[in-house]
Amino acid sequence: MDVAAFDVGLLQATIARALRRGGDFAEVFVEDRDSLGLRLEDGRVEQTSGGREVGAAVRLLSGEHTYYAYSDALDEAGMTAAADAVAAAVRVGGGSAVVDLGLVRSDPGRHAVIVPPETVAIVRKAQLVRAGDEAARAAGAEVAQVIVGYGDTRQKVLIANSLGDLVYDDRTRTRFTAHVVARRGDVIQTGHETVGGSAGFELLGESTARAVATTAAQKALVMLDSRPAPVGAMPVVMANGFGGTLFHEACGHGLEADAIAKGASIYAGKMGEVVAAPIVSAFDDGALPNGWGSQAFDDEGVPTQKTLVIEDGRLTGYLYDRLRAREAGAAPTGNGRRQSFRHVPIPRMTTTYIAPGNASADDIIAATPRGFYAKSLAGGQVEPASGNFVFGVAEGYLIENGRLTTPLRGATLVGNGIDILMRIDMIAADFDVKTGVCGKDGQGVPVGTGQATLRIAEMTVGGTG
Amino acid sequence: MFDILDAVLERARAKGASAVEVFAERSTSRRIKVYRQEVEQLTAAQRRGLGVRVFAGGAVGHAYTSDLSDGALDAVVQRAVDHAAVSDPDEFVALPEPAGAPADVHPFDERLTRATDERRIELALSVEAAALAADPRVKTVEDTMYADGDGEVFIASSAGVRGSYRANQCYAFAYVLAEEDGQVETGYSYSVGRALEELDPAACGREAAERACRLLGARKCPSMKAPVVLDPFVSAAFFGVLSAALTADAVQKGRSLFAGREGRQVAGESLELVDDGTLADGLDSAPFDGEGTPCRRTPLISGGVLQGFLYDTYTGRKAGRGSTGNGLRGSYSGLPGVHPTNLVVSGPATPLADIVAGLERGLLVTDAVGVHSGANPISGEFSVGISGVLIEGGVLTTPVHEVTLAGDIISMLTNVRALGDDARWVPGGSILTPSVVIDGMAIGGT
Repeated sequence: MDVAAFDVGLLQATIARALRRGGDFAEVFVEDRDSLGLRLEDGRVEQTSGGREVGAAVRLLSGEHTYYAYSDALDEAGMTAAADAVAAAVRVGGGSAVVDLGLVRSDPGRHAVIVPPETVAIVRKAQLVRAGDEAARAAGAEVAQVIVGYGDTRQKVLIANSLGDLVYDDRTRTRFTAHVVARRGDVIQTGHETVGGSAGFELLGESTARAVATTAAQKALVMLDSRPAPVGAMPVVMANGFGGTLFHEACGHGLEADAIAKGASIYAGKMGEVVAAPIVSAFDDGALPNGWGSQAFDDEGVPTQKTLVIEDGRLTGYLYDRLRAREAGAAPTGNGRRQSFRHVPIPRMTTTYIAPGNASADDIIAATPRGFYAKSLAGGQVEPASGNFVFGVAEGYLIENGRLTTPLRGATLVGNGIDILMRIDMIAADFDVKTGVCGKDGQGVPVGTGQATLRIAEMTVGGTG
Repeated sequence: MFDILDAVLERARAKGASAVEVFAERSTSRRIKVYRQEVEQLTAAQRRGLGVRVFAGGAVGHAYTSDLSDGALDAVVQRAVDHAAVSDPDEFVALPEPAGAPADVHPFDERLTRATDERRIELALSVEAAALAADPRVKTVEDTMYADGDGEVFIASSAGVRGSYRANQCYAFAYVLAEEDGQVETGYSYSVGRALEELDPAACGREAAERACRLLGARKCPSMKAPVVLDPFVSAAFFGVLSAALTADAVQKGRSLFAGREGRQVAGESLELVDDGTLADGLDSAPFDGEGTPCRRTPLISGGVLQGFLYDTYTGRKAGRGSTGNGLRGSYSGLPGVHPTNLVVSGPATPLADIVAGLERGLLVTDAVGVHSGANPISGEFSVGISGVLIEGGVLTTPVHEVTLAGDIISMLTNVRALGDDARWVPGGSILTPSVVIDGMAIGGT
C-alpha cells in the first residue's frame, strides 16, 4: 500500500458517502506509519521492536458536532464502513456539496531528511545506544543504571476533505534519549537528556549520542550532592531549554482554542489584554526547520506556521484547528494535530517558546542575591481553567549572593500561569529548544519547548527541607 | 483469527525461527463526548492487529502490523527475526511455556453488546445534566464522556501456549468547572462497569460538581506538619505511582525503592496491598496475561510487611521463580512488561466521619496535581500540588489550594494510621482503595 498513490476516486466517494445524510464538512485521513525503537538497559540492547500500522479515519462535522470513525482496513469495504458509521450518527438533515479534489499538494524537503533512517542498518542504530551507554558509565563510578533509547518513525499521511483539499505529507522523525540513575548509599538520583527532530539519521552521530548520555549522567551525579529544597516564595531563575516546559504547560495549553471555546482557559476573552510582563513575547512555530514538533502540514492538511501568541506582554493569538477556527470565525493556524488515525484532531502546540531577550544568563544569576535556579524540569501538570500548575524540578540549585551553590532535590514549583508571566523580570539571549511528547485527551504528539534563561521575581518553591 | 496466528507460526518456522509467539487483538469501541446537552463528538472505532516475538539464541525481537494480508505477515515475521538479531542475548530470555489453566474470570457482559448509540448518548447527557443541576455555582462541565470497548485477545506460540478471551467495559466521566467571585475550581468523577446498567450517571455528575464546589473560596494555608486524609482518588494516584516500584522489573534493574525490603515492615500495620487479576468486578481482570500466563492474586504488602513483587516470564526466570501473570501488553504493538492488574488497598475500615472527628488539625486532600511528575518512583521522594479542605477541631472547615504535599513514599506508607470505609474503584490503573490517613505530612503553604 502506497499512501501517496492512494485511489483519489475512493477518497472522493468516501467523502460524498459520509456527507449523504447531512453535515457540512467531511474529511478522510489515511496514514501509513513505520516505526523502530531500540532500548538499552543494564548494558543490553533489549527486545528491539518495530512495525507498521496503516489505517484511515473519516470525520464528519455538522455544526459543532464531530462524528469520527476509523478502521485498519484501507480497502473499499473499510472506507465504506467508516463513512456509513459517521453518516448514521448525523442528526441534522441536509448535506452539502462535495468539491472536487484538486491536485495533491505537498511540500517535500520542507524539513530536509538527508539520511532516511530506513536506509541505515539496524546494527548502526544499535551502535549508537551502546556508545551512549559507554559514555554515561564513563561519567562517574556512581552511575548505577543507564537507559538509552533510539527511535525513528516515518509517517506518510494523505488528507482529503470536502473543501477540495488534498494534501500529502511525508514525515520522518528521529530521537535519542538517555536516562541515568546515580547512587551513593541510600541516595538515588536521576538525570535525563534528549535530542530529536523532524530529520533523518544525520541528526545523530556517535559523538551526539555520547554527549547526550554524558549530560544525563552529569545531571544525576551532581544531584547526589543535593540537599532537600527549602519551602517558600523566592525568586526563581529558569534555565534555557527545558525551562520552556513551564511555559508550555502553564500558559501554552491555555492558548489552545478548544480550552478557549469552552471558557476553560484563563486566556479566554483576554485577546489584546496584558497577560505577561512587557518584556515577554512568545511564539508557537510549527514550521521551525527540522523541529521535533514541526511538520509541513498539520493533521488537517493546513500548512504549519509561526504564530505570535504574546507580543510585548499582550495576548495576540490562539492556536486553532479547523473546527475551532470555524466556530470562532478565525483562520486555522496549522495546530490541528492527532496522534494517529485513531485520534480526533484537536488544537495542539508544536514548538512553543518565549522569545529570547538581551541579558546573559550569568548576569541574571548575579543579579539574584538569594533564589532558586531550576536547570531542568521533570514535567508537570496544569489546570487550564485556573492556570494553576505544579512542576517537579529534576535539577535545581540554590542561588546565594548571586552565585549557584548547593544542588537541591525534591523541589516543585507551584503557581499560576498568568502570575508567573507577569513576574518575569529578566530574559537572557541563550535561547534553546528541547524535545518532548505532550499528552492531552489521551493523545501524545511530539512537541518542542524552549526559552532563554529567565527570572521570575517570585514563585512558590515546595520542597522537603 | 487462530488461522492467521497459525500462519504466522508456520512462516516463522520456515524462516528458521524455532521459538515464536503471536499475540493478536481485534476490538470495537465507542466514545461519546457531550457538551451543553448536545453531542460534541462521537467516535466509532475498529481495531485489529498482531505482534510477533521471535526468540533466537537468548535474544528476542518484536514486530507488529495492523495489516493482516499475506505479504504483511511475511514482512512482520522477517522484521521480528531481524530485530532479534540486533538484540543482545540474555540467559533468562525464553519463550513462555504453557503455565496451566486460565483463571476462572469472565470479563465480559453480554448486556453491553445490546447498547445502542441512543442509549449511550442519553447516558452521557444525564451525567452532564446531573452535574449542572447539582449546584448553581457549576459554571460548565468541560468534559462529559461515555466510552466503552469490546475486544478479543488471541495468543499462540510454538511452545504450545494457546488461548483467547473476550472482555468489555464501559465508563462515564465528568470534569466540572465551578466558579464563585471570579475563582474557578475543578472536580471530576467516574462511574465504571461492564454494562450501562452498572453505571450511575446521576451520581457521577453530582459528585464531580460537589468536588469542584467544595473547593470554592479556597486559599493557601500556613505551612505545617499534620495528618492528611487522602481521598480514594488521591490515594489511587499515589498507589498507582508506587506500584511501579513493586514490579520485579524495577527491582532487578535497581529502580525500586522496595528492593531488598522483602519481609520487612514498609508500611503501617493496618495496610494490605494486593494485586488481583481475577476479581469479578476488576476492570483489568482477565483469564491470562499478555504472555498467556494465568492471572492470579498476589499479596504485595500484608500487615505492613512487604510480601513480594510482580513478575512476568523474564523477571520470574531471573529471580528463579515463575511469572505471577503480570506480563501485560498495552496493545498488539506493545511488548509485554511487568505491570499491576487490579490493585486493592485495604485494612481495618474506620468510618470516614470518625476519622475526621478524631483529627484536631489536618487536611482532607481531594485533588493532587503532579503525582506522576512530582513523585520519583526510584528515590521515593515526592512533592505535589494539592487541594482539599482543612480539618480543625474534628470538623471540615476551610477549603485550601495551591499548597504542596511533600515527603517520601516509605515514610508515607509507614505513617499510614487508618483506612476509611469508603473503598471504591478508581480507573486509570484499576485501583480499589478507601481514604487513607497518614500522620505527619509536610504541607507547604504560606
